[in-house]
Amino acid sequence: MNIPTTTAITGPPHWRRFRFPQSLYHFGALLGVLVFVVFAIDYLNIPLERLLTMFGRIGTQLTERYYPPDINYINDKDYFASVLDTMQMAYLGALFGLLASLLLGWFGAHNVTPSRRYVYPAARLITMICRAVHEMIWAILFVTILGFGMLPGVFALTFFCTGFAGKLLAEEVEAINMGPVEAMRATGANGLQTFVFGVFPQVRVAFTGIAIYTWDVAFRAATVVGFFGAGGMGWYLKRNVLQIESERVAAILFSIILLVLVSEIISAWARNRVAKMA
Amino acid sequence: MENAILHSTAERVLASRSEARRRRATIYLILFLLVAWSIKVTVIDDTDWERIGSFSSILKEAGRFFAIDFSLFPKLIEPAFETLVIACLGTLLGVVLCLPVIWFGAANITPFKPITYPLARLMMTLSRSIHEIVWALFFVAAVGLGALPGILAIAMRSIGFIAKISAEAIEDIDPKAVEAIQAMGGGKLQVLRYAILPQVLPVIIGVTVFEWEINIRRSAILGLVGAGGLGLVFFRQMNTFNYPGVTSVILAILILILIGEVLSHYSRKSVI
Repeated sequence: MNIPTTTAITGPPHWRRFRFPQSLYHFGALLGVLVFVVFAIDYLNIPLERLLTMFGRIGTQLTERYYPPDINYINDKDYFASVLDTMQMAYLGALFGLLASLLLGWFGAHNVTPSRRYVYPAARLITMICRAVHEMIWAILFVTILGFGMLPGVFALTFFCTGFAGKLLAEEVEAINMGPVEAMRATGANGLQTFVFGVFPQVRVAFTGIAIYTWDVAFRAATVVGFFGAGGMGWYLKRNVLQIESERVAAILFSIILLVLVSEIISAWARNRVAKMA
Repeated sequence: MENAILHSTAERVLASRSEARRRRATIYLILFLLVAWSIKVTVIDDTDWERIGSFSSILKEAGRFFAIDFSLFPKLIEPAFETLVIACLGTLLGVVLCLPVIWFGAANITPFKPITYPLARLMMTLSRSIHEIVWALFFVAAVGLGALPGILAIAMRSIGFIAKISAEAIEDIDPKAVEAIQAMGGGKLQVLRYAILPQVLPVIIGVTVFEWEINIRRSAILGLVGAGGLGLVFFRQMNTFNYPGVTSVILAILILILIGEVLSHYSRKSVI
């Protein structure tokens, strides 16, 4: 009586989720990943022993060098002005980027693009380049061309936001209902009219969400583009990193994290509201 | 009588429309003023117009980048591979590190909701809100120069996104499989392994591949602050004012990212 009950609870002893051929593939994939990791660690000459001492070093660094953050340093009129500059830079960059992304979203969506042979690949390529080149590289390039200041920052953020929002918007446009668009085309509307009255109303809510998200991301990037001379808070960060003023660096990082958190909360709240309106 | 009601209804509708129009006009006006003010402050006041000079001199400055230093390409293959490897390792480490965050951050399986859930959410937000440059600076200070701080920075930066999407996927799973395993007497770990993981694995893999693609882009610039790879070459070309070389590096980054995008597209298609 006792024996069957126990077998019922433990079940058949050799049950496996994956049987022979599949289990071999899984094992092989795992082995491949492990081999790759070992190869990569060897290839990059990673000193693994540093990884072990890392936590201790981070601990001493945080407690001895970065603590306490020099709050007085950032509690300063000039610093607040730079925060405001950063916000304006992000705002302008996101705005110009969104305007450009409207065009790219239209031209780069396969279903509504004016010409699938020429305009579509060109728009896709521009979006890809804007997205692929990191915002820091844009910042460095524009600083070289235009000199220090916020103008190159605005340009860098514009390119960054163009790529970011352009891709998202093109994907939204590709998912629309083509009925209204075809109806408008049948009545003789031209490309611009179809986009403004047939396509855009369908993606308006999504576009609002994308716009808010883009501003959020742009602000996050704007806090550091100054690191390479493009104005805003990043410049403060760079200066103090170079001067090894760790306590000030800690204070600046603290303020960046705080601001980004606030902007993320606002953006999440706003996107929620927009999604509810749809 | 009926006419009067109709009339008043029409008036109400018209009034609400003009009200909406007025409100929209105010919003646009505020936006426009903000733009004007921002442009005034950031572009007009802050820019050193004498340094920029005329439009033609800008074109001349920009024109220096419109050339490609072909002799640099053979020297770019190794850093490009290094960048790719850093991105792969960073993503892998990020996935490993984010597993506990996913576990804590999914509201339906989090072990002790009042503490672990907000903790995981905070981790996700922190990881996403700190820029990779800042993470890299932090880790360069902690472990020294080289590829290691780059990998750690990328891993930390990837946690947030992967964990957020995966935790949301876990919150949306079909609870029947969980109940079935529990009814069979399965423990917590078995529920995770046999009921939850199979349902969310495609999402986790998909988002990981997506993040990997972004991480290539990130690892390409981490050389600027002391991690290796293409960023370091970019930095050197920039500092030696070899502008055609800069263009070559950017081209190499583009090619690398194109490869990554194609790979990620096909692998995500085969997973989902």
